[in-house]
Amino acid sequence: MRPWGFFLVRGMGVTFGRLFNGFWQGARRAAGLPGTETHGSGATGVFTVQYPEERLPIPERFRVLPVLIYEETTGEPRCTACGICAKACPPQCIWILQAKGEDGKTRNRPEEFSIEANVCMNCGLCAEFCPFDAIKMDHRFELADTVRKGRDILNLQDLLVSSEYHARIHPKGAAKEAEARARKSAPKPAAPAAPAAG
Amino acid sequence: MPLMPEPPIPAADALDEEVRRHVVVTRWNDLIATVDPVTSWGRRSSLWPLQFGLACCAIEMICTAASRFDIARFGAELFRPSPRQADLMIVSGTVTKKMIPMIVRLWDQMAEPKYVLSMGACANGGGPFKEGYNVVSGVDEFLPVDVWVRGCPPTPQALLNGLMELQKKIDEESFVGAWKRRRRPEVEVPALGPDLVDRRQIPDIRAAAGKGEAQRLVEMKLKPVLKPAPKAGPLSSLEASDAALKDAGMKLAARVGADHVQAAGHALVVDRSVWGQAARVLRGEMGYDFLANLTAADYEGTLEVACHLYRTDQTGGQLAVKVRTDREQSEVPSVSAVWPGADMQEREAWDLLGVKFTGHPNLKRILLWEGFAGHPLRKDWCEAYYEEPRKMFSSRWKEGRVRPGETRVRWGRNVIYPDGFDPSTLPADDAVPADSGNADDRHLPVSLGPQHPSTHGVFQVRALLEGERIVKLEPVMGYLHRNHEKIGERNTWIMNFPYTDRLDYLTSMANNLAYAIAVERLAGIKVPERAEYIRVIMAELTRVVNHLWSIGFLLNDIGAWFTPSLYAIEERELVLDLFEMAAGSRMMCNYMRFSGVAADLPEGFLPAARTLVSERLPRAVDTLDKYLTKSEIVGSRLRGIGVLPRDRAIAHSASGPVLRASGVAYDIRKAEPYSIYDRFKFDVVTAPGGDAYARFLVRLGEIRESLKILDQALAGIPEGPVIEKNQYLLRPPAGEVYSRCENPKGELGFYLVSDGEGSPYRYHVRAPSFINLSAFDEMCRGHLVADVMAILGSIDIVLGETDR
Repeated sequence: MRPWGFFLVRGMGVTFGRLFNGFWQGARRAAGLPGTETHGSGATGVFTVQYPEERLPIPERFRVLPVLIYEETTGEPRCTACGICAKACPPQCIWILQAKGEDGKTRNRPEEFSIEANVCMNCGLCAEFCPFDAIKMDHRFELADTVRKGRDILNLQDLLVSSEYHARIHPKGAAKEAEARARKSAPKPAAPAAPAAG
Repeated sequence: MPLMPEPPIPAADALDEEVRRHVVVTRWNDLIATVDPVTSWGRRSSLWPLQFGLACCAIEMICTAASRFDIARFGAELFRPSPRQADLMIVSGTVTKKMIPMIVRLWDQMAEPKYVLSMGACANGGGPFKEGYNVVSGVDEFLPVDVWVRGCPPTPQALLNGLMELQKKIDEESFVGAWKRRRRPEVEVPALGPDLVDRRQIPDIRAAAGKGEAQRLVEMKLKPVLKPAPKAGPLSSLEASDAALKDAGMKLAARVGADHVQAAGHALVVDRSVWGQAARVLRGEMGYDFLANLTAADYEGTLEVACHLYRTDQTGGQLAVKVRTDREQSEVPSVSAVWPGADMQEREAWDLLGVKFTGHPNLKRILLWEGFAGHPLRKDWCEAYYEEPRKMFSSRWKEGRVRPGETRVRWGRNVIYPDGFDPSTLPADDAVPADSGNADDRHLPVSLGPQHPSTHGVFQVRALLEGERIVKLEPVMGYLHRNHEKIGERNTWIMNFPYTDRLDYLTSMANNLAYAIAVERLAGIKVPERAEYIRVIMAELTRVVNHLWSIGFLLNDIGAWFTPSLYAIEERELVLDLFEMAAGSRMMCNYMRFSGVAADLPEGFLPAARTLVSERLPRAVDTLDKYLTKSEIVGSRLRGIGVLPRDRAIAHSASGPVLRASGVAYDIRKAEPYSIYDRFKFDVVTAPGGDAYARFLVRLGEIRESLKILDQALAGIPEGPVIEKNQYLLRPPAGEVYSRCENPKGELGFYLVSDGEGSPYRYHVRAPSFINLSAFDEMCRGHLVADVMAILGSIDIVLGETDR
């Protein structure tokens, strides 16, 4: 049986230990020694991330608001206004106006594409079910604003980002999608190849 | 002679120069320009936020204040529990109608210059719950917001970004302007009538009184459709697979009369005239001592009360019993005397569905407020933003010209008033609840919360004291009632996944799992092997994280102000990193799908998880054990406090660690194994005593057991596909299921009724945080006020789930 107060004092010791260890590890970290990462299983303590000077690495699947992708080469949005994202969206914050030609027939592209940013729950179902890789979840999270009115509905122009940007933030995902697209559009191997001239 | 400009007077110039050199400030504006940077710097570097959290975002706010993101670097670490001492209100989470009067009152009490930071989609504009009947579409409808932070939820770094934005705004502010703001008028506290009433709109509402709000429903094109209840037949009509049910039905029929017991689907239907007697037979003679779930469903002409019973001796499976009553003249005998755990669930069924339980001692509204118009979960009850009975809404696609909810309704708000509503009948603004009439010379009513640093969210405790001791206590909830079930019945089946994330927002992975399993049982879907392992890994990591959080904040509640809880939640950050890696979000994982998980584990997940599980997490739990288990303070504050004896725990339908701490070795992972839990070796942790200390020990032990499961699962995880078929439209066959999982907080159950369509006909969540509170009054009686917080902390509730 320990004397009364033993665990109390020992508990205080933890706090002091933390205090001194903080300085010690901080000094190690300043000296660039290994084992002082702010993240990952190698971290020996959870270190304070000195935001905004440094930021936690963003994993590829990280999701904030959705964006629409346009092809870097042609400038055309990938979206075909098929409406699957709007059908999958849980809070129903996606509004799509399908484009119409002069003949009055619908075209496979959006005339207008709006997302209510303050309704969106960042769930990523739109990106998950889009068959054209046209809508993806963005990584930009620093979205604080001093104005709300007029900025809470994102339109087509606000949403568009280039395919190059998409490939940069989702390197693995974009590579996989490109591969799948190439496989789809590749000529069928069964088709007889034209004999090479000469 | 050309006109010459007057030559400058050199003497005056020199004088100016002299003045500038020796007197710093020569003009009023210069003075202000000199003082401004100093005052702004002072103000922006010492923002004192109000310690005030509403929902999921509050958890991220706490993480921002914790060691990893350390809001102290911005001088804003001094969270003040009193509005009088705070100058920054971070509105972190869903603003509900029931809560907005308190929020406005808090803002009114803060001293100028004060700032409001709206955090997350809900506070900004209603968020995913915007369509709900109890949700305000943005806190800026009432309060002047300075900075909006987007995200659902914003990560701690995003919140810090918002804080920096606010600091920039303060930098630009003149101290004269800030001084003048003290004359800013108070915001009038809105009133709770048949719906939320903004007092500024009262003249308009009065002018329009009696002119057809109800008319809107008549004119509506897409009305909700009521389906008939499943047909009841004689017991002999039951299939052979329901032999156990038939057996139970026969036994019951022998006691209450053969023509009073019928069968419908896989459930017994008991006539309501004998329901009280049948309940006593079921509990007494037949041994069904655990009422897991009691809810109701709305059918054409009928309200059906559904009870799901189990036996804690673990023999026999589920017994579903139903009682039917007329929809307009509902009357069902209350069984709260037989199973005390039915008390709050019956109140909920009354509140949301309007089932009248005769003989209930306290049949008041529980999630909404007295005076609310209608019972919102009835199918034909439509809220202000109602569009169509089921998603997706036809206005969204092809002709999707954006029209936010506010622009479609009469008052520009998410409100709807019944015909003939006269706002002059509203009570005057009065902070004291009208029903505190128990006070006499000896007794003192005290209200704790809903804004209180130790209520774990927006939860209110109305206590009646004699001296410092609790005589009687009533939990008051609903301040975070986000209409989960109403929205869930409109959602397609898959859409409910991200909503379940927001039930108990500390355990979103486990909620996902429970919902996935429920629907898979309903639709008969198989899950690939690798996905089962991933699910178990995620669920158990969640349990570890939840218990670490819970132990940390229990210490907070017993007065070890924040230091130990910050240590306890350190490891949580590393687990959240793993979740973010696999699922894309720290808290709102939305990772499970029907027949698997959304995506395979990313590269690097398994090695990181293995190191964490074999090294850091055991170390963390050992540290907690070493310093806390025998600590004099933990012992003296928790031992013998809030005792819940074994039989009372069962009677109150307590589940999870609360039940096991009362000595009942009942764990759904063992009693009714789901997923692949039957393959792992682990023990059910129990502790005798039933006090707050026992609950602490059980949680500590459960972390170790979870680590055991994790070790085995991480070692045995096979390669292979992680999902059978990922589809956004699922139509389970007509039928119903009550499926439950052992969540970190207790039994999380889903009662789902499918009519074969793309969305559930009835969607009910049996929330452990809610039902564990049934025993709260009993646990607290005779204890000191300070112990109430320790007891509440030991029950471990999360308001997102309590209020749904």
